[in-house]
Amino acid sequence: MADRRSEQPVHHSSGIIPTLQNIASTVNLDCGNKLDLKAIALHARNAEYNPKRLPAVIMRIREPKTTALIFGTGKIVCTGAKSEGDWKLATRKFARIIQKLGYPEVKFKDFKIQNIVASCDVRFPIRLEGLAYAHRAFSSYEPEIFPGLIYRMKQPKIVLLVFASGKIVITGAKFRDDIYTAFDNIYPVLTHSKKNQQ
Amino acid sequence: MATFELYRRSTIGMCLTETLDEMVSSGILSPEHAIQVLVQFDKSMTEALETQVKSKVTIKGHLHTYRFCDNVWTFILQDAVFKSEECQETVNHVKIVACDSKLLTQ
Repeated sequence: MADRRSEQPVHHSSGIIPTLQNIASTVNLDCGNKLDLKAIALHARNAEYNPKRLPAVIMRIREPKTTALIFGTGKIVCTGAKSEGDWKLATRKFARIIQKLGYPEVKFKDFKIQNIVASCDVRFPIRLEGLAYAHRAFSSYEPEIFPGLIYRMKQPKIVLLVFASGKIVITGAKFRDDIYTAFDNIYPVLTHSKKNQQ
Repeated sequence: MATFELYRRSTIGMCLTETLDEMVSSGILSPEHAIQVLVQFDKSMTEALETQVKSKVTIKGHLHTYRFCDNVWTFILQDAVFKSEECQETVNHVKIVACDSKLLTQ
């Protein structure tokens, strides 16, 4: 854990590093024919299959704690991983489960991260109205609809949810570095809109 | 009304099935009648559990495995505590099979 930390660049004087909360990814299991989802649901553990609601098997594993949607075409959507390492391990485990259930020839194809979500806390309250006004080209703030400010950064193309409490959610990234760059970009902006405490 | 055959695997259901088997093999009962009795058993169990059982039990344990397929939930619990008003008991391994009774009325 300690050495993984040191790999991450320390940003700003803030010293705050966004924590990865979720990695959503897709992979194609190339197995020639279609997967028999019902047979998979019946033989695998921790599986749900309700074709009326979703044409996929929902399967969970405990280590790394992740959930996969397995479609008949062999496409797998894996969510819940908190690091790239966990994501790779989880995807491999799901593929291995499918393999063991009668598809020994499955092959990985188009193994790809689709979205990374991270969060952090800048530890000071933020005036969202002020921020929305100053950065109106990027911001959308409608407190009656959603209490956070939605900041659509152009470079990198990332969405940030900024809350008055100082809690930030960063999403829409395909790479960890985009999360860090987006936070680097937004941090000075946030310090500008810091709420003066009485 | 359709019924679940779920309760046939209970102790009382197994005993009934065994007795019916014996009666059929000794020629006292026709196989058709035996089936009819079992179908009635399914109905009676469903009805009895719905109308005559008032006690409540809570089950709490570590969920080892779950499955939902064909509208049937299957849970395997470890170290489950069964609690009712009068008593409490711990069981190492429990398998729960549950169906949605609303499906019967559709």
